[in-house]
Amino acid sequence: MSKELRFDGRVAIITGAGNGLGKSHALLLASRGARVVVNDLGGSHRGEGKSSAAADAVVAEIKAAGGEAVANYDSVEDGDKIVQSALDHFGRLDILVNNAGILRDTSFPKMSAADWDLIYRVHVAGVFKTTHAAWGHMRDREFGRIVMTSSAAGIYGNFGQANYSMAKLGVVGLAQTLAIEGRKKNVLVNTIAPIAGSRMTETVLPPDLLEALKPEYVSPLVAYLCHEGCEETGGLFEVGGGFVGKLRWERTQGKSFRLSRRMTPEHVAGAWKEITDFRKSTHPSDINGSMAAVMENLGTARGKGGNEFIDVDEALGYEFPESRESYSEKDLALYALAIGAARDALDEGELRAVYEGHTQGFVALPTFGVIPALNAMMKAGQAPGMNYGFERILHGEQYLELKRPLPSSGTLTHKARIKDILDKGKNAVVVTEVRSFDGAGQEIMRNEITAVVRGAGGWGGDRGASTEQAPLPDRAPDASITEKTHENQALLYRLTGDINPLHADPSFAGAMGFQRPILHGLCTYGFSARHVIKAFAKNDPRYLRSIKGRFSDSVFPGETLVTELWKESDTRILFRTKVVERDVVVISGGVAELFSELPSARAAAPAAAPAAAPAATPAQPEATTRNSFLVLQHYIEKNPDLAQKIQTVFQFKISNPEASWVIDLKQGKVYEGVDPKADTTLEIADEDYLAMASGKANPMALFSGGKLKIGGNVMASQKLSFMQKMDREAALRDAIAAGKLGGAAAPAGSAAPAGSAAPTAPAAPEKPKQTKAPELFRKVGERLAQNPALAGELGGAVRFRVKDPDSVWQIDTSGAVKEGDGEAATTITLREEDLDAMLGGTVSVATLYQQGKLRVDGEVGPARKLSVLKA
Amino acid sequence: MRRVNVIGVGMTRFAKPGASEDYHEMASKAAKAALQDAGVKYEEVEQAYAGYVYGDSTCGQRAIYEVGLTGIPVFNVNNNCSTGSTALMLGRQAVAGGLAECVIVVGFEKMEKGALSNKYDDRANPLEQHANVMAKVQGFTQAPPAAQMFGGAGREYRWRYGTRRETFGKVSEKARKHANKNPFAIFNDLLSLEEIMSAPEVFDPLTRYQCCPPTCGAAAAVLCSDEFARRHGIANPVYIAAQAMKTDYGSSFQESMIRMCGYDMTVNAARAVYEQAGVGPEDVDVVELHDCFTANEILTYEGLGLCREGEAEKFIWEGQNTYGGKYVTNPSGGLLSKGHPLGATGLAQCTELVWQLRGQAEARQVENARIALQHNLGLGGACVVTMYRRD
Repeated sequence: MSKELRFDGRVAIITGAGNGLGKSHALLLASRGARVVVNDLGGSHRGEGKSSAAADAVVAEIKAAGGEAVANYDSVEDGDKIVQSALDHFGRLDILVNNAGILRDTSFPKMSAADWDLIYRVHVAGVFKTTHAAWGHMRDREFGRIVMTSSAAGIYGNFGQANYSMAKLGVVGLAQTLAIEGRKKNVLVNTIAPIAGSRMTETVLPPDLLEALKPEYVSPLVAYLCHEGCEETGGLFEVGGGFVGKLRWERTQGKSFRLSRRMTPEHVAGAWKEITDFRKSTHPSDINGSMAAVMENLGTARGKGGNEFIDVDEALGYEFPESRESYSEKDLALYALAIGAARDALDEGELRAVYEGHTQGFVALPTFGVIPALNAMMKAGQAPGMNYGFERILHGEQYLELKRPLPSSGTLTHKARIKDILDKGKNAVVVTEVRSFDGAGQEIMRNEITAVVRGAGGWGGDRGASTEQAPLPDRAPDASITEKTHENQALLYRLTGDINPLHADPSFAGAMGFQRPILHGLCTYGFSARHVIKAFAKNDPRYLRSIKGRFSDSVFPGETLVTELWKESDTRILFRTKVVERDVVVISGGVAELFSELPSARAAAPAAAPAAAPAATPAQPEATTRNSFLVLQHYIEKNPDLAQKIQTVFQFKISNPEASWVIDLKQGKVYEGVDPKADTTLEIADEDYLAMASGKANPMALFSGGKLKIGGNVMASQKLSFMQKMDREAALRDAIAAGKLGGAAAPAGSAAPAGSAAPTAPAAPEKPKQTKAPELFRKVGERLAQNPALAGELGGAVRFRVKDPDSVWQIDTSGAVKEGDGEAATTITLREEDLDAMLGGTVSVATLYQQGKLRVDGEVGPARKLSVLKA
Repeated sequence: MRRVNVIGVGMTRFAKPGASEDYHEMASKAAKAALQDAGVKYEEVEQAYAGYVYGDSTCGQRAIYEVGLTGIPVFNVNNNCSTGSTALMLGRQAVAGGLAECVIVVGFEKMEKGALSNKYDDRANPLEQHANVMAKVQGFTQAPPAAQMFGGAGREYRWRYGTRRETFGKVSEKARKHANKNPFAIFNDLLSLEEIMSAPEVFDPLTRYQCCPPTCGAAAAVLCSDEFARRHGIANPVYIAAQAMKTDYGSSFQESMIRMCGYDMTVNAARAVYEQAGVGPEDVDVVELHDCFTANEILTYEGLGLCREGEAEKFIWEGQNTYGGKYVTNPSGGLLSKGHPLGATGLAQCTELVWQLRGQAEARQVENARIALQHNLGLGGACVVTMYRRD
């Protein structure tokens, strides 16, 4: 045990010390050497009556035990007299325990003003009076210990004790400030909230509990707080029944709303969980702690800025939920018509954009891409932090970029985000980026939609790069296309998705300040794009790579548009579009970029080469492909088990010339056209398709050679092997017998063969095999002879087993090349055409090997060095 | 995390498609064998994890119900070829995390004849990204897709390190030798290197005998806490010293067949396990690794650090992968010769290693085996590496 805590020489006042807690405190302090003023008015616990008996009894008890004490019978309302009594008797005052109290419990409706006032006067004013009188002495002597008595009723509330609760928390507040004011003068002030049986609590606690809550469990804490060795101040303690604990405030992390923004009750309601969540909390212990959260908010609140309309911190970078939308040829055709395409129904280029049966194949107008992107935005609604109405929004600029030409149908997934928010002073500008992905997750296009939000700027934020447009070249336009819009253009265009009544309803338009409904800005934009395509993209919409324009004025349906174009380079066009009648610029700052080569044309490109070669091409390749599919159609109809087994839909996109066929082996159908839900898409040149259909070329070989491009479920294309396995001649005979090939598309010449395989296999009369191997190896021999070091680099003898046509060759360790078999640690097996390609350097040895076209037996080392043999 | 013990294991003899019992019969037999091995009543088991790839939903319950109907949670687990060890990992997590004292993990598969293929053609192929890498690197052929993938990785490996085709064959030769002593294996016959090399080629460099066969079978393990083992008087059980799962990294979808086939998953899972256990590959005595094709066994030697990159050929021809060498790899015969019922494989590997660590592997026993390593890989993908020890 530590040393006994003594109070020798100290003078203490205990108010209300005639009974209960006060008596217990007095006895304890006196027993440890303090001289005690035992104050007690001697009234009942309700503050009625007056008697000196209680205080006298306690004094007597102290004296009997050898202590020193004096009684005082003043009310705490005359607290100065109590203090004076201490000074008169003992000449000093060190300790004050404000313990006296009374109760006037009653439920609030029944509580009288007298009940309220009395409690206030005893508990609050009394404590003030007594403490105030003691304060000066203590400060002067630079020592004082003051204990306030509070209560759980004050801290937590208790039914029927409204007045008492008020008073008891009042002394806590008083003590907090006195602790601060007294600290420097060593006057320390603490508060206890005792749980103890006393005359006062007899009325509210059951007797057995009262017994357990003896005052003797409370007084030791009071004594300690009054000891000179205790430095605690400003503390609040719960004590009783053997328990002592300290209380403090706890505050949730809470929610800090951004300053200088609108804060509404809805904001508070929305953040209620955060406001009341104690999982992350702090324990402020003084005013500074209390202010910390506010100060922090002041420090960070401005963030990136914003105002009541836009909270840049919240909105910038916001990613909208993904959305998906499908479109078909019909949607594309409607869009094309809505932006004036094919007004001349004989314009072959534009006809392709509206007629799905076009012999050249259907093509999508690229600017259709703005429609699903805008729909996605509309669906997503407003981003958090965007607190303005749609009526403030003006579509300012539109940028569209295609990664490759838009397919003629598909389902796109759109991912939108707020890319930029700019403060243009009066207005704000919000740039939303929408990226669109195809089913394979490949990005297909990107839109940037620049919206001007009227009157929402001015928070002093980033103005962004100047949007001054580059001046147009100082010369007459390189091209200029004039086209009148139709009087009902807007009515047509709105069917593509933007149904704002401004573009249809005369009275609505009038209310908005327009003499009549105006044309959609994006409709004009579509016209401009078409003009770019017509002027500089071979009238083939697939070449348009990107297009940007600013909507600078409105157009009324029926007005004439003129697009003036300047060709900056082969792939970059500047343009502006004006209304001829009013000579106003409606789209300014137009920039379009073109693909120099179609990105999807990769597969088709090699197919173009043989066209120049003297290969025998059929006179009517288009009709032949058709016949080949018609034979398949008949065959599949007659063999329904095939569909049962294969369960896959193949879409063929044939190029040069173009055609689209579907082999639907789910439903057992073959037809010309498009199935957007096809499992596997095969892009192939007509010539290669014929070779494949006639069994002359293996689909896998075509694929590996880049002549067949497969999309969708790549592995499912394996199932096409049924084409290799079927009895083609029998199928052809059946189809002819059934009259399937007699259609208009089948040219008479090829459709009426007498049992021969003409329609499906007319492509290549067997090419005479020219054996290239001798020539190739002769050259290899020459190179090795000229440079003997090469054989050393090869690192070993190599045998070549050349296939198709077959031959065997040998390079020995000295570099000698000879035809025929011999000893070699390494054997290479490959086709002659691959050998040719490898030696010619058009394909690497490693690629041929990895593709399985070059096989290595024995030692691998020399195989890896084969490139030394290249020309 | 609490230590998790493997106190019971069991498996059925693996069989060809058509020659096995139905899945619920195989699975319940394996589960009962594991419970018997553990000396634990099913009523004491608190959770069950059931792994399988092919089958409708809740096959796990159908199988477990054959063992008992105590209303415990049953989780059906599907993670392609690593399904079994994925279930094992979930069971271990439950015990390690203190959520259960004793769980049973069962893996089973009833496979069809022929090569693996997709069951659903009307939706995205989960291996689409993998297939696209392959299509880009080497195109594709009529060969079974898995053989093309792992065979392609083998090609890439050969080209990188100049490995002979016969080296791949040697792995199969060894697998058959090991399986010859395993009564649970699908193939017990020995094969000579010549027979292996002259077998029909599936996809260069893989011949038919270098591809694991479609297999039916089941295996199970009972896992428990130290406290549970103590209460049941189980002394010195085999325990899981470390375990990690890795899924694909971006490197899988660049232009390397080796990485597409999960090499980096293996490397990283192994590294994590060695770190957790504080034990390196040099301390391992016996290994069950995922030899779905010989090519993958070769890659896995290097991925697990059993030999250095590019040195597998030397490792194989020196016989370091079998009895008398540095490590006995796949003493059970591996997937190549014991068979590969997808959902069961991870647990069959576990079963073999527990037997090895207990000295119960009979003719296949690796002398003084104390530390065992398990590697189970599924394309799609997931790789689970587990280290077992017995003190």
